[in-house]
Amino acid sequence: MAVPEVKGPQVDGDGAKADPAEKVTATAPSPRTGVRELAVRYGFIAITVVLFVYFAVAEESFRQPSTLFSMLKFASVVAVVGLGVTLTMVVGGLDLSVGSVAGMSVTISAMAMVFYAQVGGVAIAVVLLAGALVGAVNALLIVVLRIPDLLATLASMFVIMGLKLVPVDGQSVSSGMVLRDGSVAPGKFTPDFLAIDRAFIGPVPLPVVIVGLLAVGTWFFLTRTRWGRLMYAVGANPEAARLAGVRVGRYRALAYVLSGVFASIGGLILSSRIGQGDISAGNSLLLDAVAVALVGTSVLGLGRPNAWGTILGAVLIGILITGLTITGFPYYGQDIVKGIVLLLALLFSFTLSRRRSRYAPAAVI
Amino acid sequence: MSKSSTSTHLTRGRATVRAGAALLGSALLLAGCSQDLGPTGSAAPPPETATVGEATGQKPAPFDGAEPVKIALVQNSGAGDYFQQWTNGARQQAEALGIEIQVYDAQADNARQATDMQTAIGSGVDAIIVDHGQSDTMCPLINDGLDAGLPVVIYDVEITACAPKAVETAQDDASLASLILDKMTEDIAPGSPVGYVNVLGIAPLDRRNAVWDEVRAKNTWDQKFFVGEFTNSVATDNAQLVDAALKANPGVAGIFAPYDELTKGTVSAVQQNNLQSQVKVYGVDISTADIEVMTAEGSPWVATATTDPNAIGAAVVRVTALELAEQLDSREVVFPGTLVTQELLKQNSIQNLDQLRAELPELNMTEVATADWIPVVSF
Repeated sequence: MAVPEVKGPQVDGDGAKADPAEKVTATAPSPRTGVRELAVRYGFIAITVVLFVYFAVAEESFRQPSTLFSMLKFASVVAVVGLGVTLTMVVGGLDLSVGSVAGMSVTISAMAMVFYAQVGGVAIAVVLLAGALVGAVNALLIVVLRIPDLLATLASMFVIMGLKLVPVDGQSVSSGMVLRDGSVAPGKFTPDFLAIDRAFIGPVPLPVVIVGLLAVGTWFFLTRTRWGRLMYAVGANPEAARLAGVRVGRYRALAYVLSGVFASIGGLILSSRIGQGDISAGNSLLLDAVAVALVGTSVLGLGRPNAWGTILGAVLIGILITGLTITGFPYYGQDIVKGIVLLLALLFSFTLSRRRSRYAPAAVI
Repeated sequence: MSKSSTSTHLTRGRATVRAGAALLGSALLLAGCSQDLGPTGSAAPPPETATVGEATGQKPAPFDGAEPVKIALVQNSGAGDYFQQWTNGARQQAEALGIEIQVYDAQADNARQATDMQTAIGSGVDAIIVDHGQSDTMCPLINDGLDAGLPVVIYDVEITACAPKAVETAQDDASLASLILDKMTEDIAPGSPVGYVNVLGIAPLDRRNAVWDEVRAKNTWDQKFFVGEFTNSVATDNAQLVDAALKANPGVAGIFAPYDELTKGTVSAVQQNNLQSQVKVYGVDISTADIEVMTAEGSPWVATATTDPNAIGAAVVRVTALELAEQLDSREVVFPGTLVTQELLKQNSIQNLDQLRAELPELNMTEVATADWIPVVSF
């Protein structure tokens, strides 16, 4: 994961130069603004590195390579869901239903395998379809029925949270459970499905590889394709984009469908990790995913949502939580630290940055 | 909204940056301070301190070396009174044994407990304790730990089938149920009409149910009703069920409700129907709040059987120490319960758990999982 972190700023910076809006704010840097610019651009990466080194020096167990990988594994779910949130932030919105979609995916995958004795591949396909479907419904609410993003996805979040409990009578789905008609559930979690979280490619856990690939894909899509650049244009100024002939609604719809799919991929990893249809899974995911996507807007000093920033944000949260846990920091202190990190990131992007941040959550409503 | 703030931003730029930098500085300072708290979470509220017993024997390997033994405690949840006490007991016993204990608290997030377990396995500890969790989630990882050569001790996770090499510990539900039902047998005549409040399908309650079936048959008690459901507010919801059952069967002499939330619901239903002089209620578990209910004027809750979470946490650490020293001969250790009667509470004016522990030292289970080289803690 260290490689993309370093690569991120240059590559994404190149992508940013191609954006015409970027040139407006470019002025000759004085020495003072040069330092500030440096702080804005690399300050967050520096904090991540400092924290990492601090934990590695302070705690022997933090230095183990397996700790590094389990940390990245911990971050992988938040990272993939955060990528989806990033996409909706790119078009100027926010998807609040991601946590519940991930939770729904856990239940659906468990139902497919345990209730209907399907193989892992079928469970995966059904989950991805369901995720895309929720994204499409969100898009319908937002684009066609013109309900503001936050409100539409808030509503769908509640509906999904309740709806997923209906077919399972509010119970976690596990193999060997007694069904409504008194019979025992025929299936179980299949080994190929469990491998999503538990398999390794070389020393690297599979979910970390999956998230790495999705991050590369998202980065490429957003900065190297016409669609991605137009999504940024839609987010920056939908009216201007519309006047320039962009079909704004389609791009916003696309962002929500992709967000639903990404959230369901996060749910697949969770489901495979837990090994049962845990009804409480994904509960804490929404806030973490939004936080890493927000942190991501500032990480590289871009002041806009971007794929590598989100990944770095997730890795930072992973380092923090694992490091604090190992040093014996009480659990209630971890949220405080998470909040401070978010605040720091926001300071970088809103206060210290010369460039106006293009993502201002308040502007969404 | 964002457009209006852009224009003011330009004029206020410098001041904003200074304010931001000051805030940033103080935030960093704060973060810096908080990381100095030390390795064992000294920010936790002061817990009950233990009295440490004396160890007479020679310490066996690996406790005889200069390097302290390290263990990890991988918890599903460490929040709430019960688990705070459990963890406190474990920490104090570990300290008495010179063990460094690293606590991973997943905050009731099963996925996080899985990654915690993985971190713990790779962290270079000598043994791992797993406290609660889903067996589907934890079993493969417990086996990973065992395969890595680490002793793994489980508290209250169903793993016998899938990880037979792990050491399984649990509260002895059969002993809890037997204790309280022996008391009920003394009080309630054979053949009397009785009521039963329980929820089947939850492992510890199922085990208590097995003892109930046996004792009820032996006493030829006539079970007039069997109700109970598991919800978000167990006591309130079950009070309604028991209320209805009592209205239909007002003549019962005793009710068995083997989990304190069920017991509390049953007690309030009995009181609603003004039956407290005729119906006796028998429960399981105790907390300071439960003591208040039991000792209240005219309470029908006459006895309960319980264990002390502090003592259980400590005993699990002792089991782990014995396993590390290769002195544990069984794969299964159960912790026995203690009977607490309303009479005892009232006679000694006991109002909280500390006073109860002072009155009933057997709650400390100092005889369970011990050896002459282990300084046993009691609370």
